[in-house]
Amino acid sequence: MENLYLAATADSPEVDFRFDTHELALKGESYPENAAAFYGSIIHQLRDYLAGCGDGTTITVDVALIYFNSSSTKMLFAFFDALNSAATRGVRVVLNWHHDPEDDTIGDFGSELHDDFTALEFRDLPTVS
Amino acid sequence: MNYSEYRIFSDFVAQRKIVFYYYGYFSQTIVSAMADTIKLSMKQADTTASAKRKLFSCFVEMAQNIIHYSSEALTPATQDDAEVRQGSVCIGHTGDRFYLMCSNRVAASDVAPLREKLEPLKSMTLEEIKRAYQDTLRSEQPEGSKGAGLGFLTVARDASEPLEFEFAPLDNHDDMMFYLKVTV
Repeated sequence: MENLYLAATADSPEVDFRFDTHELALKGESYPENAAAFYGSIIHQLRDYLAGCGDGTTITVDVALIYFNSSSTKMLFAFFDALNSAATRGVRVVLNWHHDPEDDTIGDFGSELHDDFTALEFRDLPTVS
Repeated sequence: MNYSEYRIFSDFVAQRKIVFYYYGYFSQTIVSAMADTIKLSMKQADTTASAKRKLFSCFVEMAQNIIHYSSEALTPATQDDAEVRQGSVCIGHTGDRFYLMCSNRVAASDVAPLREKLEPLKSMTLEEIKRAYQDTLRSEQPEGSKGAGLGFLTVARDASEPLEFEFAPLDNHDDMMFYLKVTV
């Protein structure tokens, strides 16, 4: 399936999903007016891609978001839920969670993902910006 | 206003340490531009990085609430994208803290549901707010919400004091004016 690339805008992150090499990245700020619409189509494509991934596939997900609003948070949760479902049936998913070590909100959200989505290989990566 | 009144107005703004005020139409483009100017003024502000982030987060939630829920809409009520609605937002400094205030008109029928959402947040501890936030994050999207039902919880989580709000009647109109104050 075709790779998905969306350039960052003032209120939405860069989406760089290289399905061919199993590398997915989200980077930037996220507070679009309609987060459900923005992430809805991304999650839809992610699900299609995951459906075609078999055991032995390793997917690397790099998330480096510096801010996301409440409605994006909800959609991100659904995004990680889809990855976790794939991981529970044998796909290896490595989640690199990049964040400013001083940003408690994003650090806490990472911990929650770690607690909830136990099939993901969660790597907490505090990086000084 | 004449020049002398404008001077009084400007002096008042300076004395009250109002760092930002906007009244008018809110669209996503306008909110994004305001977010830019707030980021710039926060760069200069003498406060912690954490307080700056919380202020920014509260600003976005409050401004996007106006886009989605103000009863003074320029776009049709049924439209849920590229909405334009009216309201106001203000950021001020007092003591060693920043606060945000916003206002917009709401339909009379929205007053009771808003009260129901906001009133409990006033008396909840930060731990209780965080727990409610986590529960809501994992639940289905509430009906009638254009966000995730997480907006006020996010604001309450980022605030350092209980939220303050009130509804004021309008002359010759059934709608009410909704005011919210958040100290970060």
